[in-house]
Amino acid sequence: MSEQVKIKKIRLEDMLNNNVWDVDPRPHITVDTGKCKDCEYKPCIRLCPVGCYVLHGDDVLFSYEGCVECGTCRVVCPEEAITWEYPRSGRGIHFRFS
Amino acid sequence: MQHKFDVIVIGAGPAGSSAAYNLAKAGFNVLVIERGRKPGAKSMFGGRVYKAPVEKAFDDLDKAPIHRWVVKERISMVYDEEALTIEYDGRGRHSFTTYLTDLSSWMADKAVSAGAKLVTEVVVDKLLIEDGWVKGIVSGDEKLYADVVVDAEGINRLVLERSGLVEKLRPEHVALGFKEVLKLSKEDVNKFFGLDDDEGLAWVFMGEYTDGLPGGGFLYTNKDSVSLGLVIYLGHAVKELERHVYDLIERVRLSRIFNKYFRDARVMEYSAHMIPADIKALRPKRLVYNGLVIAGDAGGFLLNLGYTYRGVDFAAYTGYLAAKAISEASGDYSLESLSKYERYIDESFVGQDLKRFSGVHDLYENRRLFKEYPMLAINMMRRLFNLEYESTRFKDAFNESRKGVVGLTTLLKDLWGVYRKL
Repeated sequence: MSEQVKIKKIRLEDMLNNNVWDVDPRPHITVDTGKCKDCEYKPCIRLCPVGCYVLHGDDVLFSYEGCVECGTCRVVCPEEAITWEYPRSGRGIHFRFS
Repeated sequence: MQHKFDVIVIGAGPAGSSAAYNLAKAGFNVLVIERGRKPGAKSMFGGRVYKAPVEKAFDDLDKAPIHRWVVKERISMVYDEEALTIEYDGRGRHSFTTYLTDLSSWMADKAVSAGAKLVTEVVVDKLLIEDGWVKGIVSGDEKLYADVVVDAEGINRLVLERSGLVEKLRPEHVALGFKEVLKLSKEDVNKFFGLDDDEGLAWVFMGEYTDGLPGGGFLYTNKDSVSLGLVIYLGHAVKELERHVYDLIERVRLSRIFNKYFRDARVMEYSAHMIPADIKALRPKRLVYNGLVIAGDAGGFLLNLGYTYRGVDFAAYTGYLAAKAISEASGDYSLESLSKYERYIDESFVGQDLKRFSGVHDLYENRRLFKEYPMLAINMMRRLFNLEYESTRFKDAFNESRKGVVGLTTLLKDLWGVYRKL
């Protein structure tokens, strides 16, 4: 059966190309990545649904541009390393079909 | 802009617009503040809304952007790419599918038509509190005054938190919902799910798609698209989830059970939102303060029974009750006077439901529901139906599937737990 499957996994970055953002030039989230070194589970890496947090060696790399403003990272961060605000002036994600 | 309003509503979602609409109808001078470019731009939900409470909050619901009326309900347990499904094919028109982005716009338009003022692209930072009274809101350097504020800011309640009225959210109090909206033709939606033009399907599933973690999946049929998503309880996922959540939802779309629906589908959107999970823990100490009423997700008003999620209708209804309490307060917005709202909530179906089902959240602590039982169910079906020569007795199929997976006393205890709490 599985060999008949015609559809392929979509890379997250391609999936995100379907969304519309008006990216705020000023980041609405800042991460004190110095605190991430001591973090055992680094839950942000797996739980941010749009992959704003990626692991590079032992370091957490962060980018806010693809954020959908769910707030999960802030809630799951055990190190209180994340300063989280909503983007201002109508910037950020603009959902159309959700 | 006028300097002082009767009411400021934070957030033009279902709760905020419901409060604003009903207050504007009652003659109040209402300002709604929305952070998105337009109402709905930041809204996301699973996919289904129950009609009756929304109809109570808004007139002319028949003119709302309704996609399909849910007539089919499916509940599946999934293990090893096989599913055991219960299907109810009814004729009810009790709930409908839609895009919350559109429904929120419609609700905000209703509030504006009734006379409420709406400002968009403005983030409320905190409540303006003076001498123990909420006097308005603060946004950047600006202060706006009102006799009473309705906080309908949603689950990510930064305003209440910064104002010191609630604690920061903890992982065990919330779940993450995320979904792919997949474009199909209207004909394909009808054909794939056995529906007529305005009929819809609500399908929830639990088991391997969450890697055995508490949570589940959903599929809702829209007019010419499907919303396919997952809900993951963050308390467990923080330490135990071993892969990226996006891989979980992609696995659902690509699975043997679901991929056949999506061979010609095109992605329209990928979205995510937090969902209230532990309702008791999320309820603020008080739902009212001097000059403040809390409605919608911000108050933790959402019911999740595993087979039914109710957030939008609860939000709209609590917004309606907030408007009712404020209208009846005759200008006295003290905590004592507004505490009528808490009574309205507790006496309403919202409060009653949340009380009646207050044990359901504990069921989610029982990991067997997400791992062992789906496995047992599928193994039993295999023994019953995948026959070659000899046929299988039901009791043998059951006992052989159960052995080594879950003890009989544990199983009876779990059944009793589910029976008692649901």
